[in-house]
Formats: sequence, C-alpha cells, structure tokens
Amino acid sequence: MLLKELSDAVESGDRDRSEILAGKLMDEGADPLQTISSLTEVMGGIGERFSRLEIFLPEMMQSGEAMAAAVAVFTPKLKKEEGGSSKGKVVLGTVKGDLHEIGKNIVKLMLEANVFQVKDLGVDVDPLNFIKEAVAMDADVIAASSLMTTTMPHQKEIIEILKDKGMRDKYKVVIGGAPTTQEWADEIGADLYCPDAGSASQKITEILKK
Amino acid sequence: MSNPYRLWEIQQRSNTGPYCDEDDFLPKIFTPKLKGIIKKYEIKYDPERLIPVDDDLADRVWQAGWELFREVGLYNTDTHRIIKVSDEEIKEALYMASDRYWVGAGKDAVLWKHRRVEDTEPPFCLFSPDCTCSEELHYSMCLAFLKEPLLDGFCAPILENSIGLKIRSASPFEINGCTQHIYNLRLAARQVGRPGVFLVAVGTAEHDSGQIAVSNNEWGVRTTDARIIGTLTEFKTADTMLNRVVHCCQYGCYSGNLTGPIYGGWCGGSEGIAVALVAYSLNGLCIYGSIFNQHFPFHLNWGSNTTRELLWPIASAGQAMARNSKLLYTSNGFSNAGPMTEMVFYETACHALVSTVTGWHLWEMASARNKYRNRATPLEARIGMEVGHAAARQGMTRDKANEIALKLLVRYEDRAADAPMGKEYQECYDVATALPTQEHFDMYRRVKDELSDMGIEFPY
Repeated sequence: MLLKELSDAVESGDRDRSEILAGKLMDEGADPLQTISSLTEVMGGIGERFSRLEIFLPEMMQSGEAMAAAVAVFTPKLKKEEGGSSKGKVVLGTVKGDLHEIGKNIVKLMLEANVFQVKDLGVDVDPLNFIKEAVAMDADVIAASSLMTTTMPHQKEIIEILKDKGMRDKYKVVIGGAPTTQEWADEIGADLYCPDAGSASQKITEILKK
Repeated sequence: MSNPYRLWEIQQRSNTGPYCDEDDFLPKIFTPKLKGIIKKYEIKYDPERLIPVDDDLADRVWQAGWELFREVGLYNTDTHRIIKVSDEEIKEALYMASDRYWVGAGKDAVLWKHRRVEDTEPPFCLFSPDCTCSEELHYSMCLAFLKEPLLDGFCAPILENSIGLKIRSASPFEINGCTQHIYNLRLAARQVGRPGVFLVAVGTAEHDSGQIAVSNNEWGVRTTDARIIGTLTEFKTADTMLNRVVHCCQYGCYSGNLTGPIYGGWCGGSEGIAVALVAYSLNGLCIYGSIFNQHFPFHLNWGSNTTRELLWPIASAGQAMARNSKLLYTSNGFSNAGPMTEMVFYETACHALVSTVTGWHLWEMASARNKYRNRATPLEARIGMEVGHAAARQGMTRDKANEIALKLLVRYEDRAADAPMGKEYQECYDVATALPTQEHFDMYRRVKDELSDMGIEFPY
C-alpha cells in the first residue's frame, strides 16, 4: 500500500511526499532494491509518456526529482547491504563552446532514474575535463553532448586525448546532440550514438553489459 | 529605434540583477510563472483551429508575453544574475522602436516594414537553408539562393570545413571559416548582380570571436547587414551573446534576436510557446537592441514546426505582436521532410501561409529538421515565399488560410515522425549553374499548381 502511494507521489512529482513515504517504507523494513526497482518501472512509464509528449519536460523533471528523493532515503542502507547498486558511473556534459543543456539534462535525469551514478559537468566543458573527471570518479562512461556542428569536433577530441593517454579502452564514449549522427559517431570512433535523450539510459545499459 | 535601448544600463544588470542558482531558474521561476500566466489570461490551444480569429485571444497572448518577460527576465549563465526590465522601460522601448528599417545597400536596399494581421503587403522574404554544407558546395548554394527573385535578404548555409580543415568553435579555424563564408557570399551576391543585398551573416560563427572578426564594410559583413544573436533556451543568455550585442551596437550593424522555444520542453505545450514568442520578442527589443526577432519554435521530438501544435502558437503570437506592437519578426520554418519531396513543399507552403496572414515575415526553410548536411535547396523556400506573396496580395483572410492550411496538413501531418529525408543539394541542383534539375523543378511546379487549385492566387 505504501509502495503504491510512493509510486503515485513519484508519478505526480511530489518530492516532499515521496521522501516521507520512502522513510516510512524503510522504517517498515522494505527491501531497498525491490523498492527502487518498482520506482524505476514507474519512472520508465513516465519516460514513455514524455517520449510521446503526453507530458512535458517540467512534469518529467519533477517526477525525476521525486524519485531521486526517494532513492536518497534508501541509499545509505543500500550501500551498507549491497556495496552499492549503481548500474554504472557516467560523467556527462555539453562540450566546449556549446551552451545548450536541455538534451543533456534529460539524459542525466533518465540515467539517475535508472540507478546510474552521474556526475554532471554542465555546459562548455573542456575535453580534458571530461577525462579528468572520469578518472576522478572511476567512471565507466564519458557522455558528451553537442548542439552545434562547430562544437562537434570537441567530441572527437575527447576520444583522441584518451588514445594519446593510452586510456581509450578504459571508458565507453557516448555522443549525442541534434546535429550528430551515427555516421559521425563511426567517423570519430565513439562507442555509442544516442539519437535522442530518451533512449540514452537503455542504450548505455546495453553497451555496459557487453 | 535603430539605437540599442539604454545599452549600458541594461548590460550592467548582468552584474547587479537578482542572483539565482541556474538549477533553479527554469523549474522554480520560469515554468511556474509561465503556467500561472497562461491560466490567468485564459489561453487555450484549439487543435481544430490552426489560425485563431479571436482578436481578444491575440491581445491576451500579448499581455501574457509582456508579463512573462517582466517577471522572469533573462538569466545570464556567466554571472548567475537575472537581467530584469520594468513595465515603464518596456513601454519606452516599444515607443522608441521604429516600424521600418532600410536594410541592404544601394539599389539592393529594401524597406522592411511591420506587418498587420491579414496585411496586403507581402512579407519580407529572408531565404535561408539554415543547414550546414560541404565546403565545395558552399559557393554554389550561395549563388542558387541569391538567384531567387523574391529574395529580400539571405542567410547562407554554415561551413563545416574551411580549406579542408574541420571548423572548431572559438578556434582559429572558425575565424578562417567565417572569412571564407563572407567572401563566398559577397562574391556570389556581386556575380548575380545584387552586390548590396541584405545579408544575415555569418552563420558559421558560433562564437563571438568569429562574428567580430568579419565585421568590415569593404570585404566582410557590412553595417547595412545584420547579425543573429541567440537566446539560450529558455530565457538565458551568456557573455558570449552579450559581447555580440555590444559589438553590433558599436560597429553599427543591425541585429536579430534568435530564439527557439521548445514544444514539450520548459515552455510546456502550445500555449506556452505562444506566450514565450511574445516575451522573447520583448527581450530582443529591450535587452539585445535587435531590429527584428527570428523565431523558430520547434517540436522536442521532431525538431520541426509545421504540425498543428506549433502552427497554432505561431499564428497566435504573430497576431498578438501584429496588433499590439510595431515590431518586425520572422517566422523560421523547420520542415520534417527533406529536399525534392512533395512533403517538404506542402510543409513550407503551410508554414508560410499561416505565418503570412498572422503578421509574420518569412524565413524559409530549414529542411529535413535542419539536421543533415547539404539537405536544403532554394526551391522549397521559393514555394513558401510565393505563397506568402500570393496570400498577402489577394488579401487572404485568416478563415480562408485556415481552410487551406487544414487541407495541406492532411497531406503530411501523419508522416511527421518518419518523414522522408529527401536528397542533398547536389542531387537536385546543377552545382555549376546553381539551377534546379528538371525533375526537381517539375515537382515544385506540380505542387504549386495543386496549391493554386486550393485557392492560392499566384500571379505567375
């Protein structure tokens, strides 16, 4: 019953209620992994509705925040019991010279909702910073967004610097953004191209399984 | 007003305006305010009516946009402060704004005037492919567009490479690309006999350094031309944009404020887009000192604006500004389909028709969602401009335009999600002569005849 109420709170984007209900569930001894898994399903449904634009970005963001608040309640217990349950660690940002952020922010939300650990570097991020932050975080994935054709070369630079540092195989490099294409991803040797923000978390999950 | 509105008093607000955490600006300030304003002014999208004829609705959209701009302001991501403008300042700037500007030079200069709803003056026709293009095709594409008879102004495609080297924003390669861009443009304009034609340039410059490097009345972007200065989506700016504002003011060229509110994004749905378009226009006037606003609202998933959820806000905001201001504003089409498809002609015709009867000037056409290199040609833009001229000249009413637009939507709306990409420029144009292939021209002519049968009275 409480889980249903928590799911409803996430769906309606009620952050405060979500946090309170998660606390109650934890007090009742609910299994953190099962609870988060249920919420991930709820968030998946919300993502589906957003992809059809039955709801819009603000509503999805609110749901994402409500889910994050619930997950945060369970995280200490989860870490203690399971040694962490993250599907993977991702450093994410928009490349240097590019100030666009909406697509990148949707990807961040969907990754977090799917229990990835995400470090958002923001916009206008130097290629070397992507790598330094990936090293610092011990990341699995470097995800770089570009919204302008003249900033796309910075996605390539990330891969080139990784090669020069002998670190290319250490990270999966994922690219996306309106002017980017599979052809561009192939040309620069990216591991994954995401044609839209909504599909990023599923695609990243798949490449990390390989 | 050809001078910027209180340039330094406004610029200083980047340093002195209210502080706001960037993460809070959109979810905690912008969207809640916008939702409240839509409710307050009772703005309601009607999917069955592409072009509203309710003047009171248009006036409410205007008031809502004004209130949104006054309340939300413009967020500077470099200083984390909000530039805000008061009611009195908005009124003063609107009073000072001119309703017409001479743009371009010499015999090619054109008087660009404010339009009204159902105006019989044709729209100003700004041709632009908006796409990126290969270096070897850039000059030919410039020629092909500049040959267009109805062209009042031109914004050339964006170079991806210059002297064979990939252009990287904010680097020496970008400055080099910008130089090549404007030289191609100026030479092409001279060769087609329009040396003074109004140019909006240079699109190759993403960074302010690239723009500033090519300001030169002898060989570069002239003071009779314009620059586009973007606003970040939604209602954000940065010093790199404001650098351009100051440069344009002090260099003495025109500027246009470029905005792309996203349907499905922080603006929400159609109502939010309509209100945001008005608010963005006031931003262009008051904060950017722009003589025109260049709007391309688009669908979050498709990247286009030729379907009903985008045409309604275009029609509503156009009427709001036409009835309540003297501003100039261009409606920038983004089609789903690519060149040499019947669909791109239908989409452009519909976008141009809806825009024209609701007070807009035309900026056509970002084909194939503006996503693919070389996928745009002058012919789809031509059909849009011809529709605009014809609709204005025949005094087409909103009702009649609505009827035709609905018929056009039937021809493409259900294919929006998986529209054909069409062909690249060099597949539908002779690159040497910069003229369309016969096959391409015949397709254009067939669709034009079809539009004529629907009631659009083309003069030729």
